[in-house]
Amino acid sequence: MRRRAIGLAIALVVSTVAIQTSVFGAGRIQPFGASPALVLLVVIGCARYLPADPALLIGFTAGLLLDLLGGSALGLWAMTYTVIAYLAWRARDRADDGPLVIAVGVFLLTVLGQSLFAVAGTLFGQRIISNPVVVKHMLLPAAYNVVLAALVLPLVTRLLGDRRRGWAL
Amino acid sequence: MYSFRRFDRSTFLLITLLVISFLLATFDVRAEGSGIGTTMREGAQTLFSPLQRAMSAATRPVVAFIDGISNIAGLRDENERLRAQVAELSAQIRDRAVLETKVADLEALNDLATPGELAAVSARIASPGSSDFDQIRWIEKGTSDGISVGDAVFDDRGLVGRIDFAFEGSARVLLLTDPSFGVGVRDTSTNETGIVEGQTTELSLKMFQAQDPVEEGDLLVTSGSRFPPGIPVGIVKKTATNEAGFALITTVEPLVEVSRLDYVKVIVGWSPLDAGAADEVPIGSAPGLPGFNP
Repeated sequence: MRRRAIGLAIALVVSTVAIQTSVFGAGRIQPFGASPALVLLVVIGCARYLPADPALLIGFTAGLLLDLLGGSALGLWAMTYTVIAYLAWRARDRADDGPLVIAVGVFLLTVLGQSLFAVAGTLFGQRIISNPVVVKHMLLPAAYNVVLAALVLPLVTRLLGDRRRGWAL
Repeated sequence: MYSFRRFDRSTFLLITLLVISFLLATFDVRAEGSGIGTTMREGAQTLFSPLQRAMSAATRPVVAFIDGISNIAGLRDENERLRAQVAELSAQIRDRAVLETKVADLEALNDLATPGELAAVSARIASPGSSDFDQIRWIEKGTSDGISVGDAVFDDRGLVGRIDFAFEGSARVLLLTDPSFGVGVRDTSTNETGIVEGQTTELSLKMFQAQDPVEEGDLLVTSGSRFPPGIPVGIVKKTATNEAGFALITTVEPLVEVSRLDYVKVIVGWSPLDAGAADEVPIGSAPGLPGFNP
């Protein structure tokens, strides 16, 4: 069961990275100049059900794939998503599973993820913080993720979580 | 007790992964486009290119629909702007015939190559990168098509950027708006040269020895130091003069709309040595002039 869940999580992450890098972004779906951080949402979803080690490794792998297919130095998204996976995994037993808590959690973790990347990128010479639209690139993806969480998290629950919960968050 | 051990183990793994990430980033930045990072990028591109193509093809109608809806508010403004632009361009077209003759005479006289006559490979944008912070585009052509690192990339409006990674079937374009991008330029009005650098949404122009001021609306083209001379780069947004002892610095609006790139061209097989007397070239390639025919 655990191996099956990890295998499904890897497949889910790879598919989501392909969607993120081909469907979203400049010239694709980018409403108001920003796109959802779909991979981050899937990492959060996986961290809610997987044990700590696989959850962290899934976060690291997802981030590394984004690094390889994006414009950042290798390791920056990997670092960010590992931290997000860790926080999501740590928080899952400490918070209620209600929709409001999940929405707030997804919003905060997305803002934190985008902020961490902006700071790490700037430290490694990418001057992201000086980007005049950096705040927009932190807040809008978080808002989009809250909306998409209603679709994505039930899907992750269905694939990795307790099947009896069906499509619940 | 169990909970403590579990916490301890996961924290150890977290720290290990963070250290690995940090080392990867450090080595990748220091490698500057070579080493294990390049091999890993090539592997990831090989793995994901077919997936991305399939995904793009499957979702193209949906993407176009959503893109249309999200842009509907700006269509009226854009319509008015385009009407004004059409009026302005009509006037320019009237002057073009005269200029075409002059430029053709000058080119024949100097026997100079212009971007439109250089070998170029057309390529479709495969991926806009992995996040909104990215100032790159992946294209569907690579070294097998003659593309190599450092090649200039342009579209019908002007310079788009340069190739910073080239693999067999794909290549990465670093956009001219990236803060690490810089290119030598020439002001077509004054013939003064300077450097344009990316500033994410716009460009900055620095001129260190300019005698004349740059005026708002001046067209900047590549000077031939790194890319073929005469490729349009941007329009000066703000008039600036050179204060004694200081560099002239002003902002520039890029001619290309980087958020709307779909197809680009890559100039292949050009070396700065090909420019010859690059400083003598610039006039032939401004938009609307015959030298620049992408």
